Amino acid sequence: MSTEERLELLQGTLDLLIMQSLRRGPAHGHTIMQAIERRSGSVLHVEQGSLYPALHRLIKRGWISFEHGTSENNRRAKYYKLTAKGLKQLAVETSNWEKLAGAIARVLRPA
Amino acid sequence: MIWRRRRALDDLDEDIREHLARETDENIARGLSPEAADAAARRAFGSVTRIKEDTRAVWVPIWADQLLQDARYALRLVRRSPGFASLVVATLALGIGLTTAVFSVVNAVLLRPLAYRDGSRLIWIVTYDDRVPLIEVVSAPDFVAFHDHASTLERVVAFDVSMERVTARDGVVATRVATVSSDFWDLAGATPALGRLPSTNEDAIVLSHAFFESAFNGNATLVGRMVTVNDRQVLLAGVLPRTFRPQLPAPAAVSQLPPGEVEAYHATTIQPPSPTDLGVRLFYVIARTRPGVTVAQVKSELETLRADVQRAYAKLPSAPRLRVTPFADVLVGQARRPLLILFGCVLLVLTIACVNVASLQLARASARRKEVAVRAAIGAGRGRVLRQFVVENLLLASAGGIVGLLVARVAVSSMVQLLPYAIPRLTETTIDARVLTFATIASVVTALACGIAPAAALWRMNVQDALKDGTRMTTAPPRALRARRALVTVELALASVLVVAAILLVKSLWRITAYPAGFDPEHVLTLKVQMSGPAYRTPKRKRAYLDEVLQRAGTVPGVHATGVSSAAVARTRLIRQDGRPMSILDRPIVRLNVTSAGYAAAIGMRIVEGRWMTDAEPSAVFVINEALAHRYFPGENPIGRRLLLPNGPDPARAIPVPIVGMVADLRIADLESAIEPELFLDYRHGNPFAMTVIVRTTGDPLHVAPTVRAKLAAIDPTQALFQVKRLDTALIDSIAPRRMTLTLLTVFAGSALLLGVIGIYGVMAYSVAQRTQEIGVRMALGATRQAVLMMIMTQGIRLTAAGVAVGAVSAAGTSRVLASLLYDIQPTDGASFAVACVGVAATAIAACSLPAMAASLVDPVVALRSE
Repeated sequence: MSTEERLELLQGTLDLLIMQSLRRGPAHGHTIMQAIERRSGSVLHVEQGSLYPALHRLIKRGWISFEHGTSENNRRAKYYKLTAKGLKQLAVETSNWEKLAGAIARVLRPA
Repeated sequence: MIWRRRRALDDLDEDIREHLARETDENIARGLSPEAADAAARRAFGSVTRIKEDTRAVWVPIWADQLLQDARYALRLVRRSPGFASLVVATLALGIGLTTAVFSVVNAVLLRPLAYRDGSRLIWIVTYDDRVPLIEVVSAPDFVAFHDHASTLERVVAFDVSMERVTARDGVVATRVATVSSDFWDLAGATPALGRLPSTNEDAIVLSHAFFESAFNGNATLVGRMVTVNDRQVLLAGVLPRTFRPQLPAPAAVSQLPPGEVEAYHATTIQPPSPTDLGVRLFYVIARTRPGVTVAQVKSELETLRADVQRAYAKLPSAPRLRVTPFADVLVGQARRPLLILFGCVLLVLTIACVNVASLQLARASARRKEVAVRAAIGAGRGRVLRQFVVENLLLASAGGIVGLLVARVAVSSMVQLLPYAIPRLTETTIDARVLTFATIASVVTALACGIAPAAALWRMNVQDALKDGTRMTTAPPRALRARRALVTVELALASVLVVAAILLVKSLWRITAYPAGFDPEHVLTLKVQMSGPAYRTPKRKRAYLDEVLQRAGTVPGVHATGVSSAAVARTRLIRQDGRPMSILDRPIVRLNVTSAGYAAAIGMRIVEGRWMTDAEPSAVFVINEALAHRYFPGENPIGRRLLLPNGPDPARAIPVPIVGMVADLRIADLESAIEPELFLDYRHGNPFAMTVIVRTTGDPLHVAPTVRAKLAAIDPTQALFQVKRLDTALIDSIAPRRMTLTLLTVFAGSALLLGVIGIYGVMAYSVAQRTQEIGVRMALGATRQAVLMMIMTQGIRLTAAGVAVGAVSAAGTSRVLASLLYDIQPTDGASFAVACVGVAATAIAACSLPAMAASLVDPVVALRSE
C-alpha cells in the first residue's frame, strides 16, 4: 500500500465514518482508525491528530459514549460506543451522505 | 456538562498511550525492532501535546483556558512576592472598604425607600411663624379641617412624641410614647405581631417589639390586659413586629427629647376645640397624598381650608404660614449634604489608593520588563501580555474588595454603635445587594484604573532594548520614574485636600465646645422630671415637689449647688410696661425659662449687670440675657425696667415685673443653635412643668448620680426621673451629626495621609535603590555623606512641596462645599490651611528621610563592586 493511493478524508466525513465503524460494537480509538482504513481498502487515511478531537466532539454531542475495559493484552483501555441518539443520527447522516454522493456523482458523470 | 467534560478528558493521556502502544505492537508484529516500532508509532501519531490541546478545545473555549493560565500565573507571582501583594491588597481594602461603608450609609439613608407604604407620596405639613424660630407644628382645628376636608390627601395623621411613665415589670420607666391619630396604622402599614391594633376611639397602647421585650419580658399573656401609663389604666392592645421601626421625627426644639426610637404608640382621637376655648393642642402631621397630586396642589388646598379655620376660631393665636414638604426630605434632608460631602471625600481616598497601587505597579513593571520581553519574544502578543496584567489586577482587586467588605462591615457597625442617631435612618444601614454590587463595581473599576499606567509603560516597551539590558538594570527607565513622581504628587495633593477639610472641621468643633469661663459642664449632672399625672395639676403642687427636689439634692455630699430650669421650651410675649400700645399678637415672642435661685451658680452663669434672683423674692423678678437686652433694650439700661407677666387670659390682670439683672448668653442645650432672647423667672412665681434639675458637684457627677437619683425618687415613686446625664455628655450628644462627619473625615484624612506617605516613601526608596551605583561613584569621587543626604532630601522636599502646593490650591478652590459644616470659621481659614500643609509636608519629608539616610550610608566599595 503505497501512500500515493491514500486519500485525505473530506471535511466532516470523519464523524460519519467513526459512528459507522462503532455500529459493530464498542472499540478503542486505534481500532476505529484501523477499521476505517481497512474497510476503505486502505484508500482513506485517518489523520491521527483529528481522531481524538472528533471522538470528543461526538461525546459532547451525545452521539457516542465510552466505557472502560481491558484490552486483549490486559491493559486498561477506553472503549467508545454508539448511543441510541447516535444511531439515529447515523441514519440521518448516512442518508444525507448518500444523497450528496449521488448528486455529486450525477454531476460528474459525463453527459 | 462540566462533569461529562471532566470524565471525558480525565483519561485522555491513558487513551493516547494505549493508542501508541497498540500501534507499536503492530509495528513489532510487522517485524520492526521495539525501538523503531515505538518511534514509528510516535511519528505516525504526531504531536501529542497539540492533539491534547485540540481535544481540550472541544470542551473548553480557548480564552477560558488562557484566563485560567493567567490567573495561575498571577497567583504564582503573588506567592513569589507576598509583600508586594499584601501591600496592594491592604491599600485597596482600605480604599474599597471605606468607600463601601460610606456608600452603605448613603444607600440606607438616601437611596432606600422609606419604611412606609407608598413612602414617596408622604408629605409633612407644618404651620409656623417667622418670628418664632423652630416651632413648626399644626393646631388641632387645622388638623381636623385637613383630615375631614382635604380632597388632595388620602390619609392625614397627627402625632406627638413625649416621655410618659409606664409601669413595667421593674417599676416605672420613662418611655418614649408616640400619641397617634387613628389613620396612623394604615399610613405606616402596621400589622401587629401580637394582639391587635386599637380601633377608633379606643384608649389603648401598642408596644414596639424591643420595648415589649425589655420592659415586659416579652410576656404574651399581658396582651389584652390593662397596664398603667401615667397612673392611668390603659389597654395593652398589641405588640408590633420587630421589623416595624417607622421614623417619626420629633424636632428637639419643641419636644426637648433626645433622639431615639418610639417605644409605645398611644391611640388618640382629635376633637376640634370649641371656638371659645383658648387652649389648643399642637401636633406633627404626616399625610399621604392621592396619587398624581403635587405638593403645590396640596398646599393651595390647605391654605383655603386654613382660611375657614381662622374665621371660625378668630380668637385663637394661629401661625400665619404653612409649609408642605416631601416627608423623605424632612427625615433625611439635613443629612443629605454632609453625606454627599463624605462620599466625595471617600472617593478621594479611593483615588489615592488607586494611585498608590498604580505607582507600586509601575515600579514592579520596570522590574518585570525582562520577563515581559521574554514572553513577547517567544510569541505572546501585546494583547495577551496586557490581558495577563488585567487578570493580575483583577485578582488583587477582588482580594482587596473582599477584605474591603469586611472593613466596611466593621466600619458600619462601629458607626451605628457609636452614634446611632447622628443621621436619621443610620440604624437601617446594612450590606445589601446594592452595596455588594457597588463594592464589586468599585473593585473592577479600581483594578482597571490601577492597571492603566503600568500597562501603558509595558505597551511602549521595546522588546529588543529590554532583552539587551544587562542582567541587572542600571538605570530605571526615566519615563516610569517620572510617571511615579507625578502620581506621588497627585497623592500628596489629594491627601492635603482631605487634611485641610478635617482640620477645618476639628477647628469648628473646638469653636463650638469652647465653653465660657465658669461654665463647667464636666461637673454638672442634669436629669429631667416631668411632674405629670393628676397629683400635679396645679402650679402649687409642682412648686412643692420642686422645693423638695432642691432641698434633698442639696444635702447630697459632694453637691455644692442645685437649681432647676424649664426642660421644654416655653415662650411668652414680651410686653414692656412703658412700651407703646400695640396688639398683643404683634408683641415679640421670647423664651421664658422658669428657674430657681441656685440655677445661676449650678450652671455657671456669669452675671453682667444687677443680680440673680434669690430664694426669698417677695414678688416676681425677671433676669434677662444679653441677647434680649441687645434686641429689645438697645442703648438703654434694662435694669429696673418693668415687663408685664400675663396672669390668665385677661391682659388687664397682667403683673408688672421688674428686671433685676442681666446674664451672659450661654448655650446649655443645643450647642449649635443660635442664642435666643431669654427671660428667667423664679419657679415660685412662675408656672413650672417639665423641668431639668441641675446639680453641680465637686467630683465626677456620675459618682453622686445614684444617690441623687435615690433621694429624688423617694419624693414620689410614681414620677420617673429620666435622662440622668453629665451635662458635657448631653452637650456632646447635641452635636452628634457633626461628630459623625468629623470622625469619618478624620479617618479619611488619616488614611489618605498614610497612603500618601507610603507612596512617597516607595518612590524615594526605589529611586535610591536604582541610584546606588551612581551614589557609590559620587562618593568615590569625593562627595560627603552629608552632600548625598542633602541630594536625596532635596528631591523629596521638591516632590512634597509640589504635592502640598497643588493640594492647597485645590483645597482653596473646593473648601466652599464645606461651608455648611463649618462653625464660626471661613472655609479658607488661613491658620487651618497652614497647619494642614505643614503637617502633610512634615510627615512626607520625614518619610523621605529614611531612604535619604540609607543613601548616605551607601558603602562606595560595595556599591561599585556589585557592578
